[in-house]
Amino acid sequence: MRNPKIITEHWGKIDPLKIEDYLNVGGYAALKKFIAKMDPQKALDEVKISGLSGKGGAGFLTGAKWEIVAKQKGEKYFICNLDESEPGTYKDRLIAENNPQILLEGIILAALTVGAKKSYIYLNGNFEKAREILERAIEQAKENKFLGSKILGSKYLLEIEIFSGAGAYICGEETALINSIEGNRGEPKIRPPYPTEAGLFGKPTVVNNAETIANVPWIIQNGGGRYSECATKLFVLGGAVKKRGVAEAPIGTTMKKAIEELGGGMQRGKDFWFAQVGGAAGRLYLEKELDAPITGSGAILVVDKTANLYDLLLSWTGFFRRESCGKCVPCREGTFRLNEIVERLADGEISDRDKEAMLDILWTLENTTFCPLGKFAATAVRDAVDKLGVVSTNYE
Amino acid sequence: MQKSSTTSKILLDFDPEAANLLPALKKINVAFRYISEVDAEKVAEYFELPLAKVYETASFYDLLETKKPAILEIEVCSGGDCTLGESAGIIKEIENRYRIKTGDEFNPKVRLKKISCLGRCSEGPIMIVNGKVYEKMTASGVHKILGEWG
Ligand SMILES: Cc1cc2nc3c(=O)[nH]c(=O)nc-3n(C[C@H](O)[C@H](O)[C@H](O)COP(=O)(O)O)c2cc1C
Ligand code: SF4
Ligand code: FES
Repeated sequence: MRNPKIITEHWGKIDPLKIEDYLNVGGYAALKKFIAKMDPQKALDEVKISGLSGKGGAGFLTGAKWEIVAKQKGEKYFICNLDESEPGTYKDRLIAENNPQILLEGIILAALTVGAKKSYIYLNGNFEKAREILERAIEQAKENKFLGSKILGSKYLLEIEIFSGAGAYICGEETALINSIEGNRGEPKIRPPYPTEAGLFGKPTVVNNAETIANVPWIIQNGGGRYSECATKLFVLGGAVKKRGVAEAPIGTTMKKAIEELGGGMQRGKDFWFAQVGGAAGRLYLEKELDAPITGSGAILVVDKTANLYDLLLSWTGFFRRESCGKCVPCREGTFRLNEIVERLADGEISDRDKEAMLDILWTLENTTFCPLGKFAATAVRDAVDKLGVVSTNYE
Repeated sequence: MQKSSTTSKILLDFDPEAANLLPALKKINVAFRYISEVDAEKVAEYFELPLAKVYETASFYDLLETKKPAILEIEVCSGGDCTLGESAGIIKEIENRYRIKTGDEFNPKVRLKKISCLGRCSEGPIMIVNGKVYEKMTASGVHKILGEWG
């Protein structure tokens, strides 16, 4: 079966500021079906059958996460994670800008399924345009009775509020995100308890990535079984490919295929060197490794042989030095010192002591930090050492 | 209108609840380009929080400033895609133009900051001058734009 375009089908064809456009292409049919013919248990079953997994990086099974919260009684929250501050990734922003209603319909279905009456969209503080579009979309959804009390005349109710972040990569991590909404510093919290047990304001909370959520209307409309046969993923192509941007393709698409077909191949006159998959926190892949499927959030940065590796090392280590939240010492100190050593490396002044220290720091980041950001900070540098021989070779 | 009365007015748009602290700080930051000590005290009073708590939150986020900004605040994206573009060269060009170093904070006239990816990679390299975003920058192109800012 040909893979349908589940998320991007209507991009560029409908006006994101007009709910009528979305309704005209069959929008909100899934919500109508849910209200008329289904109940939360049935919807949960479909999502479980679909095998839908998280698109925010970790790939956790969405149905399993929802079930934990759906089982609990009382006040609950549903949060759409649209913080998207992983460098090189902007698929979620484009969902909001091109088809905000598909996202809202997904949020509504998800919230009703898990039994939340209040939902937040945690939006990256830089996404001004997306904010305006989403605000308008929420108003229009309310006017059409898809939101508010008595949704489509039923007993269901839901309120969606946009919460804008203020520029902090760590706030994409779900417990830090929750801290941020609560008015605290956006530092991660210790787990357990998991947000599904004690999340926002101490209540059971589901946090899902925006792309994950945007798949839900299709699943409810067409069934989890069908979804499991033709699931897709958004990929973000960057660097030395002809077509930079976001493309939807089957889950499991290999790096090679993504570069050649989605990215249109290498730019004229540029030779492939390596690809980084998953943003600044992403692993590096050499040409011989490109037959593996793209994992994680779906960003792929193609680096050609004319690139200055030191500039990239500075980009990665500088990013994590700035974005370390400072809560734990190994990450706070480690990201700082790693960046300093890379600065010396770039200046051609690296000593043997620096080289040893660099390996020590990488190990510390990989093994001792409080949250995954520490590990992320080491990933690309580790691969640059192991695969590109960055401390042993002199690039010029 | 006096600045202090405006801050108080901004605060009145928000119920003094925890979830409104960050939105309120952001709005003050947009209005005055940073959150001064006086404003931080007003926020603390309004939300009935210790001043230290307000600073704790305000100092955490990139989009909030607690120090008075320079007249010219230049930011250059240092994400991977912009770096593969020319952002390193752009940064050097600006450093030379003003004889400043990235990240130095003591010059009251001009400051240059590397920032993290803004998710506009396909339009990069990105430079921001006092909040205005410039796309597809080149190292040689910075002078014309910065010249317009005086
Ligand atoms: C440092 C860090 C940054 C993260 N940033 C994001 C993000 O920007 N967007 C996102 O959806 N998930 C992000 N995550 C993952 C979230 O913690 C969480 O797993 C995800 O939102 C769950 O949604 P999903 O199951 O639909 O993927 C991040 C995790 C870490 C450790
Ligand atoms: S690993 Fe880094 S980001 Fe995570 S808690 Fe520690 S300091 Fe904060
Ligand atoms: S790398 Fe500069 S906007 Fe993404």
